Amino acid sequence: MSRPERSSTEPREQDEPAIRVDGLTKAYDGPAGKIRAVDDVSFSVDPGTVVGVLGPNGAGKTTMIKSMLGLIVPTAGEVRLAGVDVHAHPSKAYEHVGAMLEGARNVYWRLTVRENLDFFASLAGHPLSAVRERHDELLATFGLAEKADETVNELSRGMKQKVSLASTLSRGASVLFLDEPTLGLDVESSLELRRELRGLVDRESMTVVLSSHDMDVIEELCDRVMIMNDGRVIADDTVENLTGVFASQAYELTMAGRLPETTRTQIEREHTVERWERTPDGVDRFEVVLEDGDALYDLTNTLEGSRVTIASIDAIQPDLESVFLELTNRAGSFADSRSRAPDDERRADRDGSEPQKREARLRRDGGRSDTSPDGERRGGGRR
Amino acid sequence: MSLATERRGRAFTTANLARAVFIKQLILLVRYPINLLSGLLTMYVFFLIIFLGGQSVAGEAVADNLAGIIVGFFLWYMAWSAFSDLTWNVTREAQWGTLEQLYMTTEGFELLMLVKSAVNVLLSFLTGFVILALMMLTTWEWLTVDVLTVVPIVALGMWSVVGIGFLFGGLAIVYKRIENVFQILAFGLIALIGAPVDATPELGLLPLSQASYMLSLAMEEGVRLWEFSPTDLTLLVGVAIVYPLLGVGFFRLAQRRARRLGVLGHY
Repeated sequence: MSRPERSSTEPREQDEPAIRVDGLTKAYDGPAGKIRAVDDVSFSVDPGTVVGVLGPNGAGKTTMIKSMLGLIVPTAGEVRLAGVDVHAHPSKAYEHVGAMLEGARNVYWRLTVRENLDFFASLAGHPLSAVRERHDELLATFGLAEKADETVNELSRGMKQKVSLASTLSRGASVLFLDEPTLGLDVESSLELRRELRGLVDRESMTVVLSSHDMDVIEELCDRVMIMNDGRVIADDTVENLTGVFASQAYELTMAGRLPETTRTQIEREHTVERWERTPDGVDRFEVVLEDGDALYDLTNTLEGSRVTIASIDAIQPDLESVFLELTNRAGSFADSRSRAPDDERRADRDGSEPQKREARLRRDGGRSDTSPDGERRGGGRR
Repeated sequence: MSLATERRGRAFTTANLARAVFIKQLILLVRYPINLLSGLLTMYVFFLIIFLGGQSVAGEAVADNLAGIIVGFFLWYMAWSAFSDLTWNVTREAQWGTLEQLYMTTEGFELLMLVKSAVNVLLSFLTGFVILALMMLTTWEWLTVDVLTVVPIVALGMWSVVGIGFLFGGLAIVYKRIENVFQILAFGLIALIGAPVDATPELGLLPLSQASYMLSLAMEEGVRLWEFSPTDLTLLVGVAIVYPLLGVGFFRLAQRRARRLGVLGHY
């Protein structure tokens, strides 16, 4: 499927990333002072990359995406889309950008499917003659060809969502922003939409920023994941790397009998025990998170000292959801300690060691230790 | 790309956008038939109340000023459409979830809204002439409707009110539900239409007033467009340029404030 051609008067620099965000900050006046919805976020995205943005409600995902689109004026920072400063030259930047922000509410329900595609292509400056063929292809790709002349309000929720996505794509954009594209869809429709979207992204080498609460969507579609909390990016890596960081450090151990109380106390003192379980037949089972690979030997030595046989040791493979919960909970604790820290300490954080850099260090360090603002390392804990 | 090519390209894409907006607005007008018909019916009933109510209260006085009432009501209806359509559009598009999509046009948000206003003015003529015909049929008062005179005067008069529409559209972008505030202006429009421009020519500087004065002369006394004085015509055109410029300027500030507050797409 080919995108309609256009010429740009602002030539894109060679090797310019598809998206570049520098120091993006958005602060609002709240009842208790300034609220930083987006806090000094910087990153870049190479062309053809699909980036997922994860975060709990209020993490700043939508504010960040809308600030990147010029729909919100940031307090500070710069955003360049396809090499164009979106806040200085919005119209020029919009030649390269499409956004699905409101799910199925993104389109006119009283227009037909094709009328919607035509209208949104016109908003991007494309004459109908130039996009007719592409619209036919989009309709075919999303299984909407037979519904092309039906008004959107006659379609199912899943179909409406597809029309919304097709309308976004009708602009012929190379950079796409999709805010919760599968929200409200049933499992089947969500799978179908994901499959179609992935196929399209691969064929057209599009750059996509996708926000979702659905981990399956992120895992399936995204080359890279950014996790946000309290307006900051606290993790930014591939799904494999994010889950891999935690993979070798969590174990479930099943004993052949009951552990003595002294052994249990020693294990709890030396390691982070997530869960103890004693089965009705008197077998102890527990989940433990270790600092590093050597700690496993220490643990097994301790258990051997108890003279209770180890029945099994299973490495726990975390999914993206557990990584997400781990990181956001940890960042929440970090934010709490920040809010209790004196002002000069917070200033030092801003000036030198941003939380996202700390988190990046944490990941490099193995991710199993919390670092408090004063630099003290503490045993981590999975929640 | 040379500047000439770029300019031609810009004109082409703007024309393309205008065409798309016109088609969309026309389709939506037709696909909401109850809304269209009830709007027309409400206006007609409103006129009947003025006409029949006035006759029973004032009798001969209404009959003597019937032409003025019809012209005034016609202009009021057109001006009300021009003024309120933009505000309604902003509110409705925000509710539909499409306002932010409109903002992301490559032609610029203000230009798009100007195009929408122009299309609204054009479509208002369709319904306005239906109302005019109904009024003349009801009262059996036949006015001069020289299209070459009436259409430019009404269009330019409406365009001055579009400026006020942009002002309220800007308020709607920031404050959302302002229908109750802008309905007050419906009465303000009556004052603007009734302003005695013939006695106090300076009142022609107000939006709509000069158009109202000239339309009365055209429809009641058959004055043609080219028979008006250059001063009258200049004032008509000048008001139709200045108020939209002021309105668009305010709208631009308002949309920037809405984006600073992060409420552009809220409703």
